[in-house]
Amino acid sequence: MKITTEELDGGITKVVLEGRLDIEGAAAVDLKMNVLAGSKMRLLLDLQKVTFLGSMGVRTIVVPAQTIHRRGGKAVLFAPSGMVEEVLTASKIDSIIPIHHELSAALAALK
Amino acid sequence: MPGKDAHKAATRLTLKSQLAELSRVWPWVDALAAEYDISGETHDAINLCLEEALSNIIRHGYRGQPDHAITIDFISLGTSLTFTIEDQAPHFAPTAHAASPMATSIEEYRPGGLGVQLMQRFAGTLHWEPLPNGNRLTIGFAVARPPGK
Repeated sequence: MKITTEELDGGITKVVLEGRLDIEGAAAVDLKMNVLAGSKMRLLLDLQKVTFLGSMGVRTIVVPAQTIHRRGGKAVLFAPSGMVEEVLTASKIDSIIPIHHELSAALAALK
Repeated sequence: MPGKDAHKAATRLTLKSQLAELSRVWPWVDALAAEYDISGETHDAINLCLEEALSNIIRHGYRGQPDHAITIDFISLGTSLTFTIEDQAPHFAPTAHAASPMATSIEEYRPGGLGVQLMQRFAGTLHWEPLPNGNRLTIGFAVARPPGK
């Protein structure tokens, strides 16, 4: 599991996750995700390259988003597909963290 | 000289009760998927259900004790694929697990309990039975075949 970040205009941090967000993948990125949650205010979580999402991976996404929310910031999910999106909708995560498939809409939601 | 079935994927996998052992499951499922022409969607559902079931057994059933055995047996019956998982952990019936109320806001979200719900959603069938010294969980998946196959 790979995680990379990019600072965008408007104080937005784009976090690109790549690979399987299973138990092993979640453990590999949890620390970095928690550091981001404690230090950034606007996170765009790019899920385009996530190929698998399990319950521990859901936790890896939602807990940092919750931390940011408590700090007064925002997080959005960008471009999940296939089973990753299906897991998010089956878990009703889409009702508590916005999912966007257009980058412009994702960025606008963070403004 | 190898027999004609020598290339076939094994239909049983035995794991130790360690999360690191899950890395052995995915290549096994990949080999079964290739052997039995399992669709990508079903392959994903199998991986998801096995991860959730096995990690629950390791973390909650065996409570992190690392040297217990877990066996997974695979059977293809043409119209269905079945994975049977057996352990020697205390009885736990995921099929009796009531769905936790989903959070309606990010403030309400509490981690935990999602794995069983995902199994119930992604498996075709889920059947649990107690064994004298453990559990047997049978997870079934319907086979979707293109017309004419």
